[in-house]
Amino acid sequence: MKIHIIPMLLATVLLSACGQPELPQLKQGTLLPSAKAVSDFQLTDHNGKPFSRENLRGKWSFAFFGYTHCPDVCPTSLSMLAQVMKKLEKDSTLDTLPQVIFVSVDPERDTPELMAKFVPYFHPDFIGVTGDPQPLLLLTRQLGIMYGKAPGDNADNYLVDHSASIILFDPDGNFLALFGMPHDPDLIAQEFIAIKNYYEATR
Amino acid sequence: MKPFILTVLLYGWSLLALAGPAILVENAWVREAPPSAQMMSAYMTLKNTGSDDVVLVDVESPAFRMVMLHKSEVVDGIARMSHQDQLLIPAGGSVELKPGSFHLMMPAPGERLQSGDRVEFDLIFADGSTTRIQADVRKKP
Repeated sequence: MKIHIIPMLLATVLLSACGQPELPQLKQGTLLPSAKAVSDFQLTDHNGKPFSRENLRGKWSFAFFGYTHCPDVCPTSLSMLAQVMKKLEKDSTLDTLPQVIFVSVDPERDTPELMAKFVPYFHPDFIGVTGDPQPLLLLTRQLGIMYGKAPGDNADNYLVDHSASIILFDPDGNFLALFGMPHDPDLIAQEFIAIKNYYEATR
Repeated sequence: MKPFILTVLLYGWSLLALAGPAILVENAWVREAPPSAQMMSAYMTLKNTGSDDVVLVDVESPAFRMVMLHKSEVVDGIARMSHQDQLLIPAGGSVELKPGSFHLMMPAPGERLQSGDRVEFDLIFADGSTTRIQADVRKKP
């Protein structure tokens, strides 16, 4: 039996080497049919510096959308992304690590100062991004990210419903893939590499 | 040998408390939060070893000015949290309070809680009984 499998495997390898690179098979992620350019937006990072489309260029970026008053889903997702980074840090084939951006969908309460204490807790390189409602909407609408206030236990303590997907931008700053819930750090790290290899092979 | 057994017993008790009406509370923990966090969350497993359904109606804690019973859900890709008035633990069954699902939400206290700290919660059941449990603060993925 083995004798038949080996030539078959060889044939598969040869075929894929000659033809177009194969689309990565993804369980967790969804690759867009073509990368989507994002129009410029002006937000602020947790150090008070401007954060725009330019900051998405030259490296891969994961973006997650949430708010600092969120006690369960957001810390869980940020810790999960820290685990993804830990796995990618061990990958010697990666020359540059992706950046991870946590974008606040609660600009009313999430100041850069608050973000500066919250976001780096999960990983020192994570970047918190916040800003005015208008540019935030401009960015999120292009990504299919939705959010809206929901009543909390009292008026000051409202909740924010928000899309839980993780967006992946390619080094051109284009929206290339997304990862839906539930998030598995092993799968996201693996599939990020597969998407990156595919992106590089098709350029 | 004896001190070892005593340690095991004491440690065991802290993680496992026999609560009010046949409810066994296991693995209670509070997620350590970033320095600026306004809200914190706590998790545990509630096992009903009895033959009657048990309803958790309230939770209080000397460590927090308020404790709310919440549920996170992802519906059509949107994460949302909702307040729960009560939590039913079916006879012979169990309910897990865990990330992304049922949890306790508390406003962060003035003095930041850190991994290694321990806090107490009082679980209040529909029959009026109350059980005090202990939860470890943990930094967890």
